[in-house]
Amino acid sequence: MAITFQVNGVERTLDIDDDTPLLWALRDELELTGTKFGCGMNRCGSCTVHVDGTARRSCVLPISRVADKSVTTIEGLSTDGDHPLQIAWQEISVPQCGYCQAGQIMKAAELLSSTPEPTDDDIDTAMRPNICRCGTYQRVRKAIHVAAAEMSKAPGQADGTAAGEV
Amino acid sequence: MTPKDLDSNMPGPSAQESSQTAVVKLTESISRRGFVGGASAAALTLAFTSPTLAKLPVAAQAASSANFEPNAWISIAPGGQVKLIIHRSEMGQGVRVALPMMLADELGVDIEDVEIEQAVADTKYGNQNTDGSTSIRLNWEPLRKAGAAAREMLTQAAANRMGVPANECTVTSGVVEHGGSGKTVSYADVVADAAALDVPAEPTTLDRASYRYIGKPMPNWDVPDIVAGKADFGIDTRMDGMVFASIERSPTVAGKVKSFDATAAKAVRGVRSVHQLEPNTAFFRMFGGVAVVADSTWAAMKGRKALTIDWDNGGASENSAAHRTQLDGLVEGEGKAFRSEGDFAAAKASAAKVMTAKYHAPYLVHAPMEPLVATAIVTADKAEIWAPTQDPKTAKDRLVQLLGLKPEQVTVNVTLLGGGFGRKSKPDFIFETALIAKELPGTPVKLTWTREDEIRHGYYRSQNAQKIEAALDADNNVTGWRHHTAFTSLVSTFAPAMNEPSGTEVDMGMTNMPYRFPAVQLEKSAIKSDLRIGWLRSVCNTFHAHSINCFVDELAEAAKMDPVAYRLKMLGEPRVVEFGSRDKPHGQDIGRLRHVIEKCAEISKWGKADLPDGVGHGFASHFSFLTYVAMAMKASVEDGKARVHHVDCVMDCGTFVNPDTVRAQIEGAVVFGLSYALYGSITAKDGAVVESNFHNYPVLRIDEMPTVNVHLVENTKPPAGVGEPGVPPVAPALANALYAVTGKRLRDLPLEGQLA
Ligand code: FES
Ligand code: FES
Repeated sequence: MAITFQVNGVERTLDIDDDTPLLWALRDELELTGTKFGCGMNRCGSCTVHVDGTARRSCVLPISRVADKSVTTIEGLSTDGDHPLQIAWQEISVPQCGYCQAGQIMKAAELLSSTPEPTDDDIDTAMRPNICRCGTYQRVRKAIHVAAAEMSKAPGQADGTAAGEV
Repeated sequence: MTPKDLDSNMPGPSAQESSQTAVVKLTESISRRGFVGGASAAALTLAFTSPTLAKLPVAAQAASSANFEPNAWISIAPGGQVKLIIHRSEMGQGVRVALPMMLADELGVDIEDVEIEQAVADTKYGNQNTDGSTSIRLNWEPLRKAGAAAREMLTQAAANRMGVPANECTVTSGVVEHGGSGKTVSYADVVADAAALDVPAEPTTLDRASYRYIGKPMPNWDVPDIVAGKADFGIDTRMDGMVFASIERSPTVAGKVKSFDATAAKAVRGVRSVHQLEPNTAFFRMFGGVAVVADSTWAAMKGRKALTIDWDNGGASENSAAHRTQLDGLVEGEGKAFRSEGDFAAAKASAAKVMTAKYHAPYLVHAPMEPLVATAIVTADKAEIWAPTQDPKTAKDRLVQLLGLKPEQVTVNVTLLGGGFGRKSKPDFIFETALIAKELPGTPVKLTWTREDEIRHGYYRSQNAQKIEAALDADNNVTGWRHHTAFTSLVSTFAPAMNEPSGTEVDMGMTNMPYRFPAVQLEKSAIKSDLRIGWLRSVCNTFHAHSINCFVDELAEAAKMDPVAYRLKMLGEPRVVEFGSRDKPHGQDIGRLRHVIEKCAEISKWGKADLPDGVGHGFASHFSFLTYVAMAMKASVEDGKARVHHVDCVMDCGTFVNPDTVRAQIEGAVVFGLSYALYGSITAKDGAVVESNFHNYPVLRIDEMPTVNVHLVENTKPPAGVGEPGVPPVAPALANALYAVTGKRLRDLPLEGQLA
């Protein structure tokens, strides 16, 4: 069945099975491989994307459920990899292997859009779904604080939504 | 304080500082890719088989190449563009930064101006197995010499051009300057001239003081791509005409497909073909199963679920409870002795008191965030692989045998690895991909393992039991130490008949127990396992460091001494000892071990810390991979669960290249160690693994993350391991901290469920 939805601001139509998880539609059909497969059962957050501005685990989200919705992936979070979180991530050298990091950043972007000045507890609660097996958690916390501080200086970007998201 | 230790007044930057100093902006000119497809086919001729010898054989120049390629790691194009080759795999430990830092420093070029390229599997690089925390320590001499050789040749060529003696010239940022005249010639101008010179047999490496990069924090240049979702991991390999595979494997290693029905699988939209795979004990005990090939990963997974397979389980029968009972029985008996000093039996016979403790640790699995995945194109006379492998060379060598091809017909490209922890040096997933691709000649096949596949078809850290006995005199001095360990050797994966833990395994943390007791008796016993055993980050150090550190805590208490003071007393004076293979080649320097313990006591305010009610302070120290680590941990029990608040860690890994990644490795080691200390447990039922995903194989999450403060000891000792040595002290530091608040000695891992 053909399903039409927006991905990073661009309308896409896919003729694939309804039950195909959004993750695999993004990765295999649309070749947007920034969104990662970690567990396939809603346990690790590697596959986190935004659907209409809300962080969702794309590995368990059937494509039929995003019909007519707007999906933002890590590739569309900013135009040039310059979302304050992406910049803070580089400044703090957060990633080790990097595999979980797209999911971490997408989850953190959602947090900052609702909680512009998160405490450590806010961060822990919001980021708990996202596993980092390399153990970058201490730097994730720090980078979120750095990005939050940066975004509070530049109110125009403080909603954490994607450049391409409408 | 150790006499030979240069560091004590030169602490490394604090964790706080490291993050700030790490912000070195790299220019856009750095090539961040250089992975797939970038194989430099040009003949590079220098090779060495034993990197530790640090000898550079004279290289014959590659006649066909216009580039200056004095050895396997450096290639300078006629226009001056420098390319550095990375022959080790990147899995987050920073090797793609650290190796170029060493080369760039010796070569005398700006690291911003170099391009990096990931090497394919090739004998010319020597050992490519990114394993055992060896990438820096085994390459420190050879890579710096490779850089120095190129610098000497380019300097000579430039000096010839200027008509001045080379020894009056200096190099800065790829420009050779003659001191007397102020004349300069750039490397770019003398590439061809340098290529015509002989490669110096004994190039002279620079004085450490002149290094611009080594020892200073440098960001990983894959990070901009990583945060933008553009970094290509193994799972991201994409090719025209690619098909996607998923395999339903036998639940047991020895199992086989008796029969299967693929009718329903073939009816799944997008499924193209189905292939049966045989188990193969000679190839890393790869599993048998049925592969489904489809137009997409999801279709392959769906098709696979629709298979009906009748299995012969190959006679597997292991059940974890019974396995444990058997292990416990083994350590109660006598094992094969492998280190004996004094007379333990006599010490025990005359003891005023005997203390005994038994420890147990279950199987563990790696669970790298990127599951196993590989892409292959195979034809009758060629195979090319793209894989997140820690060991491309072994993969290649074995593929040659598996596929019946010649070495020059097989190419193994290395992608970024989404974590490895030892799992990705086992090439079973690459073999599977190649075998499926062989049945679809010329078609690119990507095989993706699910998380369930990874958890259930691993090469596990052995389940283990240990018993330690101490004979004490009336004053609670230890007169004898007997330690018995029992587990399945990882050698069993290659030689099923292996009937004892190997020397190198017991040498990891047990043979080299550093405390001085009048009598020492160490024993080992073996147990058969139905699972595949492998190396997992820190290997046997994980369980040996645990038991020894926990038992030493008990002995300190019996002696009515502070655990840190007790450790120092039992270590004795600074000296270098050597117990077993893992202490080679530098020995175990008790002075350096004492130093990290003392320093950790100092920075953690050991014995003086203002601990809130209910918070315990635990201590552990361990020597592994030639690195010395001490760790102090603050923990409490909340709602029947361990809560870790803060970790202080002191590491002496000798000379380090990139302090920021060293710190990151320790932060990660704490997470890895706490994950298994609290939760890690793989169990078997009828020879098959029970756990399947993160819901029943949990790992640490961010809300359980303590703050980690790292102190690096700075000295000029030879570089030692970094990726693994931070792990072993974590679990015992936690167990000791929990004892301090609960009064309970928890000797079984994981701790989860024992605190309620
Ligand atoms: S892959 Fe979706 S939550 Fe793990
Ligand atoms: S950086 Fe490797 S899993 Fe998070």
